[in-house]
Amino acid sequence: MTDKILAALAAEKVGEYLIKKTVQKSAELFFIKKTLDVKRAKEFTQYEVTVYSDFEKNGKACKGQSSVNIFPGMTESEIRGLIKDAMFAASFVANPTYELPGPSDNRFIEMESDIAGNTMEENCRVMAEALFAEDNDSDAFLNSAELFIYDDSKYIINSKGINAGYRKCSVSGEFVVQCKSPRDVETYKDFRYDSLNAQALRDKVKRTIEYTKARAQASEAPASGNYRLILSEDYVATLFDFYKDKADASYVYAGYSDYKTGENVQAGEDGKIAGDAITAQFKADVPFTSEGIRLIDRPFMDKGVLKTITGNARFASYLGIEPTGIYDDLSVECGTTSVEEMKKKRYLHVVNFSDFQMDSFDGHFGGEIRLAFLFDGEKVTPVTGGSVNGSWFEVQNRLTLSKEKQNDKGFEGPLAICMDDIPVAGK
Amino acid sequence: MKVKESLFLKEKKPLLKKLLDELLAGYEYASILASDSIGKIYNVSKTGTNIREDANLTERGFCVKICDKGKTAEYSFNEISEEAIPGILENIKKNLIALDGAIPAGIEAYRIDKLDDERICIDESTEYEEDPEELGNEKIIELLTRISEKGRAYDERIINCSASFSYQKYTKMFLSRNKDMTQNVMWSAAWLAVLGSAGEEIKDSYQPMSILGGSEILKNLEARLETACKTTIELFDAQPIEPGEYECICMPDVTGMIVHEAFGHGVEMDMFVKDRALAQQYVGKQVASELITMHDGASTIPEVATFFFDDEGIPAHDTIIIKNGILQTGICDLQSAAHLSTAPTGNGRRESTQRKAYTRMTNTIFEAGSSTVEEMIASVKNGVMLCEASSGMEDPKNWGIQLMVNYAREIKDGKFTGRIFSPIVMTGYVPDLLKSISMISDKMEACGTGYCGKGYKEWVKVSDSGPYIKAKIRLG
Repeated sequence: MTDKILAALAAEKVGEYLIKKTVQKSAELFFIKKTLDVKRAKEFTQYEVTVYSDFEKNGKACKGQSSVNIFPGMTESEIRGLIKDAMFAASFVANPTYELPGPSDNRFIEMESDIAGNTMEENCRVMAEALFAEDNDSDAFLNSAELFIYDDSKYIINSKGINAGYRKCSVSGEFVVQCKSPRDVETYKDFRYDSLNAQALRDKVKRTIEYTKARAQASEAPASGNYRLILSEDYVATLFDFYKDKADASYVYAGYSDYKTGENVQAGEDGKIAGDAITAQFKADVPFTSEGIRLIDRPFMDKGVLKTITGNARFASYLGIEPTGIYDDLSVECGTTSVEEMKKKRYLHVVNFSDFQMDSFDGHFGGEIRLAFLFDGEKVTPVTGGSVNGSWFEVQNRLTLSKEKQNDKGFEGPLAICMDDIPVAGK
Repeated sequence: MKVKESLFLKEKKPLLKKLLDELLAGYEYASILASDSIGKIYNVSKTGTNIREDANLTERGFCVKICDKGKTAEYSFNEISEEAIPGILENIKKNLIALDGAIPAGIEAYRIDKLDDERICIDESTEYEEDPEELGNEKIIELLTRISEKGRAYDERIINCSASFSYQKYTKMFLSRNKDMTQNVMWSAAWLAVLGSAGEEIKDSYQPMSILGGSEILKNLEARLETACKTTIELFDAQPIEPGEYECICMPDVTGMIVHEAFGHGVEMDMFVKDRALAQQYVGKQVASELITMHDGASTIPEVATFFFDDEGIPAHDTIIIKNGILQTGICDLQSAAHLSTAPTGNGRRESTQRKAYTRMTNTIFEAGSSTVEEMIASVKNGVMLCEASSGMEDPKNWGIQLMVNYAREIKDGKFTGRIFSPIVMTGYVPDLLKSISMISDKMEACGTGYCGKGYKEWVKVSDSGPYIKAKIRLG
């Protein structure tokens, strides 16, 4: 099929193009309580072809682009028709011109993973066993779960000579823990690992069972007011999405972000950071971006100072910076305070929101509290209800990062973060 | 004009029937869902112009569902030819049935008695006035560029105005022992997103539109620009709202979000199977004001989630979920219907042929009432009008509300004061909100620019709509 596409591109005299081929195999298990409800398998091959058209408009050099999807079984004339239409469409896309990336490391890389050497059945067995290993409590139990094993191969070819690819295997899924007494409550969690990290999944289920039991005891919302707030696990990673977004070249180009490398983006108006300064790294989770740019680990922030603005070829070119590619994964240095020390003073530790949001535009973060632990100086009480509504602009320079670490879903960094004086709308 | 059938699927149908016959020889139930769809997205903003096929809306794929000694299994693939059939059958045996070996000790496979396979033939198409492919890329981009540039020139504080159009045209075919169904559908959506900047904070306003049809929708897009720009500028003067309970008039999109997020997810009956929905205990009981009648269905209204049969071969329904405040029933997919020994309601939907079917909403609405909007505003002593639904999260288990709206306009003694609050978080208990509804407008509006997820994935196109409603809501 790739040859057919290349022939069609040549026949339509397309000068610049990008072909992305994805072959995905999966095995999927869907559980309801202690039954396997449905099992699925998949084998799909897809091609996405982007064509580029160089032209002038109002005296300015433009590069338009348009993408089409090609599927197995399409005839040569169908492919030519799609590419011809895409070239026509690209000629109306008057974006300022830029250079497509060229080759830097034309290889097919097999990413190391213990998943790759096993059969799908073996992989499913290991992770399904981990999923149910801690499901031994009659009060709090796995209500339902979904488990996916993916084996993805990606191939990237462009007109500048890129011909690279990689194979990446992963395991992901989600589960819901239910506790029926004294209140019938549940907790949702998801997971993603690049290896058969059975222990991490087992621990996550165990922790979630404990939290859900605590939530079943909680009946009241915290009183409205400002709290010393502790967030942990997934919510810490979500907070750092603020910096990832702001450091994206497309945000800077559009004026949504005024970030510049070399500037301290964490400091307050006085130029100082009262809390822990953030040092972070972008982590390459795959060897190549979808454009074929070689993805490498890069410094992101050093004690609050921005080191890298990330961008694809187009937006990096507009800003005159190196096209780094766009990163999903992040590593953040931990602090020096233990979670135990954080909890020596009054706090509200939210461990489960219905949906936690960080708005990178206006800096507001928060959500509805499903479960939090409130320490009033004397005793810890589980609470539920109410909502957190904080402003990252106001708190970012006075953060406390935990010394304990987490590593899940592409985030490696502090397990918990503590912030003073965060508004909570409660009872 | 009627949407035409995919020639690709028409040509492949004999092969699919052959594969089906082979499957029926080995398994007690087999069906094949085949899909050929194209979805395109056009966008013009300060950051550039985009025309691309939307990978989530464009596919050629097939999903086989089988029942093997009562156990349900599915295989998704996208290569079909005479030569490929033995390989597909082999993969089903080797890579799918073999997954039974992965079940941990103590876990049983669920065995289904019978899957619905009523004898039905359908061959239907939706209608449109103008095919986006005939209007052409040049004219679509010209229009969006003019609107985007006009928006950006509206005020110096406006930093971007994004004008977008998308459509999906699809043919789906469903074949089983007793079913032979084909449907051809096209929907379109257009929207404006205006962003303004004053210092560090960025404010935005959003104007969405959608129809079951084609690019005729674009004729009305420019008329929405003034509202989006004006609102963005107004939001610079917005203040945080004092948390508390308010008399609220919800605009139709906010009503739609309440219908969908706060209540609709709770009546998806796959949640009943899992014991995850409080609604299960309230069938036959009052859950809302007597003024409320709620529907969901692909045939409820002509909108983006209109179709003739669902992804499991069940014909479209118009399900009355709440009648005069009393919860009547939920909505159901095929597998959940088998668990619950009930009938499916045409709500089994897949993100694509690559994904599992779940119970999903389609077009979800509250029926219109009898009050005029003017009467409703005049009746508010001290409250707000809630405008621009931004996001929401379901809580079927506890009926907790977490909905975000962009802003609220203050109303005192029946008149707008000019004060505006933003952002707004709506909280509370769903039945409390629904029972507090005291007025419903005689007009309703539908919108389906968004997608609905199951948890955090499985995106499907839905519309939700409703009239203006007056209710008591806790805001923060």
